[in-house]
Amino acid sequence: MIGNDVIDLELAAVQSNWKRKGFLDKIFTAAEKALIATAVEKDLMVWALWSRKEAAYKIFNRQTNLRLYNPIAFECSEMEYADGFYYGVVVNQQSTYFTKTEITDAFIHTIATTRPEDFRKVYWLDDTVTVLKKNGIPFRKAQNVAKPVSISDHGQFRKIISI
Amino acid sequence: MNKTETIDRLKTIVKPYINNVEAFENLTEETDFINDLKINSANLVDIVLDIEEAFGIEIDNQSMEKMLNIAAALQIIETKLAGK
Repeated sequence: MIGNDVIDLELAAVQSNWKRKGFLDKIFTAAEKALIATAVEKDLMVWALWSRKEAAYKIFNRQTNLRLYNPIAFECSEMEYADGFYYGVVVNQQSTYFTKTEITDAFIHTIATTRPEDFRKVYWLDDTVTVLKKNGIPFRKAQNVAKPVSISDHGQFRKIISI
Repeated sequence: MNKTETIDRLKTIVKPYINNVEAFENLTEETDFINDLKINSANLVDIVLDIEEAFGIEIDNQSMEKMLNIAAALQIIETKLAGK
């Protein structure tokens, strides 16, 4: 299972004020707020955590068919850097999700999977692919087999992945 | 406060965050914040905070997880106001 989430950092800076009173408390756990408090690049930490929660939630949505707005229930671990990506886990009551996050000056993009070995099986799709939806959850047909698809749009970025 | 007044106040709160004007103009109780109004998911936090301030209520995590459409928001506001 896969999920992804992209954040256009330029748009996020004008669209959201995470320093607003109460904002962090609604969506981040105490441990996550500690990661933000000690981060040198606080904006990047806020949006990296958010992107990981969103990517993990997309798997949860696919697994359960439930739609919930409960970002605080998806707790992010600290990330570890390796070969250009930041790796970590996101945990909710039922499951552990594995995240691989790319951070650039312009965007943050996270891919979440249910197994760490799945990262190498994830591939990119472009806009020309025909994406179908069942219960709002995207997939595509390849040789008559339904393949999970995850699409994320924000600002000038659109990222589509499959496995 | 009757339901129409609550919806009007809710519309004023939601308006700055919408990305689909047509869906906003044709808003009903079934209107979905993310799927219909195309509100960025991070901005849903702002809507929750704005509702808390405007109505003087506190929206706990259990209520917030249902906050996906107008009907759910109305119900949460009504319940919290009744419990004040």
